Formats: sequence, structure tokens, C-alpha cells
Amino acid sequence: MVNRVPFAARATAVILGAAILFFMLAPLAVVVGASLTAGQFLSFPPQGLSLRWYQAVLSSPAYLSAAWTSLQLAVLVMVAATVIGTPVAIALTRHRLPGSQIVAGLFLSPLILPTIIFGIGILIFFSLYADGPSLTALWLGHTVITLPYVIRTVIAVLEDSDPAVEEAVRTMGANWWQRYWHGILPQCYGGMAAGAFFAFNISFDEAVIALFLRTPELQTLPLKIYAELEFSPDPSVAAVSTVMIAMTVVLIVIIDRLLGLGRVTG
Amino acid sequence: MSATSGRQSRREAILLITPGVALLIGGFLFPAFQILAMAFVPATEDAGIWSNFARFFVDGYYLGVTERTLRLSVIITAITVVLGFPIAYIIARSGPRLRLVLLIMTILPLMTSVVIRTFGWVIVLSRGGPLTDILHAAGLVERNFALLYTETGIVLAMVQVLLPFMAITTLGAISAIDTRIEEAARTMGCSFWRSLWHVVLPLSIPGIVSGSLLVFALSISSFVTPSLVGGVRLPVLAWSIYQQATSTLDWHFAAAQSVFLLLLVMAIIIPYLALMRRKNG
Repeated sequence: MVNRVPFAARATAVILGAAILFFMLAPLAVVVGASLTAGQFLSFPPQGLSLRWYQAVLSSPAYLSAAWTSLQLAVLVMVAATVIGTPVAIALTRHRLPGSQIVAGLFLSPLILPTIIFGIGILIFFSLYADGPSLTALWLGHTVITLPYVIRTVIAVLEDSDPAVEEAVRTMGANWWQRYWHGILPQCYGGMAAGAFFAFNISFDEAVIALFLRTPELQTLPLKIYAELEFSPDPSVAAVSTVMIAMTVVLIVIIDRLLGLGRVTG
Repeated sequence: MSATSGRQSRREAILLITPGVALLIGGFLFPAFQILAMAFVPATEDAGIWSNFARFFVDGYYLGVTERTLRLSVIITAITVVLGFPIAYIIARSGPRLRLVLLIMTILPLMTSVVIRTFGWVIVLSRGGPLTDILHAAGLVERNFALLYTETGIVLAMVQVLLPFMAITTLGAISAIDTRIEEAARTMGCSFWRSLWHVVLPLSIPGIVSGSLLVFALSISSFVTPSLVGGVRLPVLAWSIYQQATSTLDWHFAAAQSVFLLLLVMAIIIPYLALMRRKNG
């Protein structure tokens, strides 16, 4: 098959593929490059190489507090989405529920509603019925939008797993909680972990909901970057962004190890 | 499962799903319906329930914003189709190792914060940025050339942001094609290009269509990229909604615009869902 692809086609594929991937990755490379500048201003190519802007970030209370908020938030969201999403996925795959198709669709619906609309929804909700924007509001908003990812990844592993394992556990005399704890849950681990990392990554990177819920005290890292870009960006923004890109690379490698990227992407 | 009685199974299922349903209703459906309700509450007492919507249609400014949003989304979607198909075909037909590398290179931008990707474009498109340098060196533009705050700039950045969605959706369709069909076409004397055009492309249409609907829906509702690259000068719908909700604090009008945007998205998503259902039998 491969041998019969004409040379012209393969050459086109290589050139076109390289060009498109260059286009895809160039903006990220530019950010990484700009973070290494020794100069005063954001520029690419960088003027001289130095790590001074990374140092500037590490000694900036504003960046550190935004990073701390983002980290807290992402961990809380990751835990909540995994703990709530996994049972939903088990119920949808291992039990017969009336209208389970509709229920499954409803659980994926936060993927369809534009984030901008959901952002105002949460803002109005917390302004009318609570004390306005708060970390709790952000936690709730991010958990809702990351829940579908956990449900999908856990369903993916459960559909591939063998229901006979639970049968065996039950035949051996396990009661209901032993069946879940020793029979079903271990089969979910791969999907749970991948879903958890997706939830962490999405929450850590999300900007639109956070933008609606921002207060002077409640500032996440993507928001801090957004605000800098709106006004007067200096190379420290590029340094923070580079650290976030590096985190994403690590998470992708972990998800690939746990579940295989091919399977997650269909 | 057979040993568990149906009733017990159902009780367990309801127990498992309750926290999720509570979160979905309280944290998602209720705030979403709140918006809907708010859109119909008139800003002043003597105005009718449609007044917030009427304001949108009477004012030429908002129609202009809508027109720009839709026009840009169509252009962005068309470009992602043209670029997405070849990249998906290349990924689908490469060996396992190259395939993984290409997948990672496609997913890395997708999983990076949209703020950071847009930031990269702000540097690239600005005056004195690398793009200006290259084009100037080629003798094509003046020194002070910039694409920041132009529609071309928005399109460039948005295509990069949304291309992974198109590539991955199309990849799904192409991966599902039996390679023997292609081989058969080739054995029957079809050239490589003809088999691509007459066999692969038609069979991947469902993937391309669902990818296009996805990209279109995402681009008409996108906020971060158009607002950083286009700024105040080139407002899009999402930007207008954000302004009303946070600067003017006119929640009723913001809600009405959100409902309008949602209707546009639904007009695209409903055919998409119908298509997916037909594909899955």
C-alpha cells in the first residue's frame, strides 16, 4: 500500500504536513522563545538569552497568588469531577436505567452550551442567590464543564472491560460494597485517572468562566495573563505561559500512558 | 448482572447517579434557565417582554456585530476543512510511531490554554513581530505592517485554535475507512489522487461535516481570541455579551443576546446531533 503511493503524493504530504504543523506549533514556540529574552520588552526573536523573566515571575506576589488560586481550584475540580463523574459512568454502563440515553446526553450537554453563556449564568446565579463571585462559584462552574470528560473516559474503559470480573467477585460471595470496591472500581482506574488529568488541565487553563467571576482577590493564572495582554505585557507573561505549556506536555504524556491518546481521540 | 435483581440494580444505579444529577440540575440547568428567564424581563416597566430582543434587532450596531461574527465563522470553518482533511489523512495513514508524534503535535495546542495560544498570535501579528520581519524581508510589506486588530488576524488565530477539532473529527472518519477499499480502487487502475478524491473524500464526508459544525459552533461563540486579536475595534457577539454583563451590567440585554447566540448554536448543533445518531445506528 505505502509503496504504491506515488512519490509526488508523499512529497506533498511531507511538505503540507510540516507546513500545517509549523502553523499549529509556531505560536507556542514564539511564546517559549519570547520568555527567554534578556531584553526589557516582549519580542521575538528574543534579544539575548536569559532566565531573568522566570526569576521575575518567582518574585512576583501577583503571579504567585494567581498560580496558587489556579492550583487550588484545579485540584478541587479534579477531585469533585472524578468523585461525582465515576459513579455516573458506572451507572450508565453497568445498569439499566429508564431513559439512560437521554440522561447520558444531558450529562454531555455542558460541552454544547457556549462557555460565554454558562459564564454569565453562573455570575447571575451567584449574584442573585449568594454573595457574588467566589472560589466556590468557580469550583462549581469548572466541575460542571469538566464532568463530561471524566464520564466519557470512564465509560470508554468500562465498555472495553470484562463484566465477568464482577460476576466472579459476586459469585465468590462479595457483598455490594465489596463488589464496587474490589470488582468495578479497579477496572475504572485508567479512565478515572485520565479524566482527572483532563479535568485538572481544563480547570487550570480555563479563562472565560473565570473572567465573569473575577474579583480583585479572585484571580487565576489564565486571567492574570489575559489582563496583562489587555494592558502592558512584558516578557514575564511569556515565562508564566511557558511554564503552563510545559505542564500541559507532562499531562499529555501521562494521559497517553494511562489510556493511549489514540483511544481518547477516537 | 443476571444474578442481581432488576429492582436492586435500579436502586444502585439511582444511588450512583444522584450526586451527578444534583450537580447538573443545580449547577448547570438552573443557571442556564435563569438566563432564559432574564432575557424576557423588560428593562423598564412599560416595555414588553420582547423589548430586550427588539433592541438587538433595531440597533444596526448589533446586527453589524452579528454579521461579522457569522462571516468570520464561515471563513474560519472553510479554512479548517481545507487544512484539516490532509492533516487527518496523513495522521491516519502513517505508521504507529509517527502517528503518535503527529497526534501529540495536534493535541498539544488543543490542550494549551486558549489565552496562551492567542498570546503567541499577538506577538506574531503585532507591528515589528516575526511575521512583519519575514514579509518585509521578502519585500512584500512596509516596516510598520501589522495584522493585529484586523479580521485577517482573527481568522489566522482562530483557525489555529480550532483546527485540532476538525483534524481529530475527520481523523475518526478516515480511520474507520477500510484500507482495502482504497487498495481495491488502486488495483482497478485508479491513480492515488483519484482514489483520494473518489473514495476517501466521499467516505470521510460525515466526519468533515460534523467537524465543520463543531468548528462553526465554537467559532461563533468564542471570546478570548477575537477580543485579544480584534479588540474593541472588531467586536463579535461573545465580546458584546461580555461587555453588557460586566461593564454596562445590563444583564437583561446580555441574557437576550445570549439566547440569540444559543439559538444560532442550536441551529447548527441539532443537525449535528441528528447526524451523529444516524451514524451510530
